Amino acid sequence: MRKLLLLAIAAITLSAFATLPGKLKSTGSLITFYSHTAFEDIEANNYKSIAVLNTESGDVIISVPMQSFEFEKRMMQKHFNQENFLNTAKFPKAKFIGQIQNMDSHDFTKPGELVLTIHGEMTIKGETQPVKMEASALVKGAKIKLITAFELTLSDYGIEFSSGKPSKNIANAIQVSASFLF
Amino acid sequence: MNRKKILIGVSIILAAGITIIAYMLNMPERDVQGADSDYQIPATALVQEYLDDAASANAKYLDASGESSILEVTGIIANISRDSKNQVVILLQSDDDPAGVSCTFSLETNASTNGLSVGKEVIIKGVIRSGAAYDKDLEMFEPVIIEKADLFDML
Repeated sequence: MRKLLLLAIAAITLSAFATLPGKLKSTGSLITFYSHTAFEDIEANNYKSIAVLNTESGDVIISVPMQSFEFEKRMMQKHFNQENFLNTAKFPKAKFIGQIQNMDSHDFTKPGELVLTIHGEMTIKGETQPVKMEASALVKGAKIKLITAFELTLSDYGIEFSSGKPSKNIANAIQVSASFLF
Repeated sequence: MNRKKILIGVSIILAAGITIIAYMLNMPERDVQGADSDYQIPATALVQEYLDDAASANAKYLDASGESSILEVTGIIANISRDSKNQVVILLQSDDDPAGVSCTFSLETNASTNGLSVGKEVIIKGVIRSGAAYDKDLEMFEPVIIEKADLFDML
């Protein structure tokens, strides 16, 4: 009986150390981007991103499989992926590595809404740029929903159109919104 | 007479041009399930191919216009879940594999997963979006991502 108890304690202790305290992996995600020009509005959705949120250190890491962006029109999707746009065959993933600011003032264990500022670095098409975003975290029981929206400048990542249809139909400033469930 | 011929010729070219442009703008969505598969591969082998050499696996499976290879992947179901769009997600992974193949069904094909359970061996057909890798920032292995999946066969 004592042996069993010891084993149980050992098992619980081991499982507790298997994952870092406060480190959560997303169970669901949606990233949407929206481009508006006088000629065309373009929207795409991606449900396949993975995020990790550390509620103690404030680390936020997001990995985005670029070919999972789905467009309304097949031609748009083909343009988005091609070499002179996002070159997704060579750069299949985009990544964000960030840090929630002022972690001392945020308590992820209390139910409610936290208003957050996240500073970090975004890597798209092999180009890394500093990014700041406002976010909110909805804490409900053991569940957390992280929501953010920010603007992304395509030319910062080496994506530029000087002529042709995309130069008129795709905005240089893209609106991105993202939500993650933990 | 000559002017009439030219007029007819120009109208034919114009009509053809408009048809082609209209088709390109409204090109129907890619029918992954209706198309032939490019590769048949066990989940374990696909993961290993990516872990051995991601660049050459990307060159083999990913397409420059985003219309990447259609695969029939054989594997053992390790997990069944749903994503934010309520699509069924089946992870094919053996106990010894460091990463698996995550297959996302669609709202149209979700029902094919009825009756499937962890431990069963299946073949799932779908389009590859990205490969498996150990991500040092996430501190975890990322699976191969397959979308627009449907159940191809049960073993």
